[in-house]
Amino acid sequence: MLTRTKEPRVDKACRVKVWDVPVRLFHWILVSCFITAWLTLDNRYLDIHVFAGYVMGGLIVFRILWGIVGDSYARFRDFAFGWREAWNYMTMVLKRWPTRYLGHNPAGSWAIYLLLGLGLLITITGLLGMGGEERQGPLAGLLNYPQGESVIYLHEVLSWVMLGTVAVHLTGVATESILHRENLVGSMITGYKKAAQGTISAPPRRLVGTLMLVVIVAAGFSWFYGYLIETPEQPYRPFTGRQLPDNALWREECGACHLAFHPSLLPVRSWKAMMEDQSSHFDEDLFLEQEAIDKIETFLAENAAEQALTEAAWKINRNIPKTETPLRITETQYWIDKHKQISDEIWRDPKVNDNVNCAACHLDAEAGTFEDAAMRIPAGAGKSSTGIIKGIYEKITCIFSFNSSPSSIFTNKS
Amino acid sequence: MKRKLIFVTAIMVAIPLYAQADAVSELQAKYQTQSAGPFSAKAGEALWNKKFIDARSGKERNCTVCHTTDLTKAGKHVRTGKVIEPLAPSANPKRLANVEKIEKWFVRNCKWTLGRACSAQEKGDVLAFLKNL
Repeated sequence: MLTRTKEPRVDKACRVKVWDVPVRLFHWILVSCFITAWLTLDNRYLDIHVFAGYVMGGLIVFRILWGIVGDSYARFRDFAFGWREAWNYMTMVLKRWPTRYLGHNPAGSWAIYLLLGLGLLITITGLLGMGGEERQGPLAGLLNYPQGESVIYLHEVLSWVMLGTVAVHLTGVATESILHRENLVGSMITGYKKAAQGTISAPPRRLVGTLMLVVIVAAGFSWFYGYLIETPEQPYRPFTGRQLPDNALWREECGACHLAFHPSLLPVRSWKAMMEDQSSHFDEDLFLEQEAIDKIETFLAENAAEQALTEAAWKINRNIPKTETPLRITETQYWIDKHKQISDEIWRDPKVNDNVNCAACHLDAEAGTFEDAAMRIPAGAGKSSTGIIKGIYEKITCIFSFNSSPSSIFTNKS
Repeated sequence: MKRKLIFVTAIMVAIPLYAQADAVSELQAKYQTQSAGPFSAKAGEALWNKKFIDARSGKERNCTVCHTTDLTKAGKHVRTGKVIEPLAPSANPKRLANVEKIEKWFVRNCKWTLGRACSAQEKGDVLAFLKNL
């Protein structure tokens, strides 16, 4: 054998269980969560992204506990290497003669601590950001919109750092697998490694593993249950925003010909201009009585974009130059940026019918909340919306499109 | 007891019918004072289906563009995609029940469809056509 082992050398090598079931499950589910989170950066998949985040956070908390109360190779005590040891190990790797560790090696354990820490920070910043920007989750409203946005930026930077760390970790695994002529990836799947005879195996801890799976599957079921019972008439909305101010007269009059666009979607000056010129309201004569106009205008002004009742309201308003008075929501820069990816085919589809009909895709357009993940392009609308390969390709290009900030998870940068 | 029930039911059915008949006949009476009438459902139907060319866009417009030809079913706003509830009173008892509403929609929709205001005669004819649907 080319390698040196920590254990006393014995002639006959045997297979030893090193990674118990909880450690292996932790590893691979964490991998799935990380990949899933990267593939669900688009707002439409926010519920999947958030679920991946919850599972990741839960797994990391579990792993920390397991590192304290678990057995043998899973314990932090087993791989509590100092920086110097990690450095020495790295220099040994460069000399192509590193010591073989049955559990985690010193460099690998540093990657693990880094990944655990980053994962935990990413979960926390995700929760804080979602509470601030989306007003969703257990920390809803703890931060305001600008604070939420900053935290989400941090969340993105940390995710890139974690991706980098994963790359280093993979390089390490590959290097060690080659140098020690053993399949470390396979070991993380089967749990076995070759070791000197007489080396003690780790207990499998199947019950803990089963419990992990049961909890995750149950959480997934309750999180996505809505999709199972939805109907075409009542599609499932993973997130519902808080009830916005409503007004019966506004809803009746403005909602008679088109969706009653919520006041929060345009600033006060836009609504004032619109109500002033009611005889030529986009090619129509409204013929409303002055009293009705006054009442509607008051409601519009009281809840206009300046009030930042929703994330969309805040973002629409901050991007309109003070010198401009847009009369259409679709003229605002925020709207334009957010709908760039919608193809002409989709706009032209009869089910969508141009950009006036927000409710064609936004399930909560009537409520005015415009939540992420409450969007669905109607089935079959536009030809490009089908095809798994194309879908994956689009997701990947979305991740690596640097032109819109370090890949905005809430693609709302502007 | 049974008779009382029938009576109450009859009244409950009659009230909306009465209100509707009332709004339509009230308006038609008003139009008659503007030297229109008598009103014909057939003329109303013809106007309903008549095609007008919009001066600005050059496109054909008529009432069925949004309301469709089957007035017992919901239509769809041609520009905004908003669902328009059925216009036939038999399918939607809320229709033709309010004088102000009828007038308001005549102003809006005549201007858009015909490019001008409807005459008292035209409005009376259309009401005569719609009320029996």
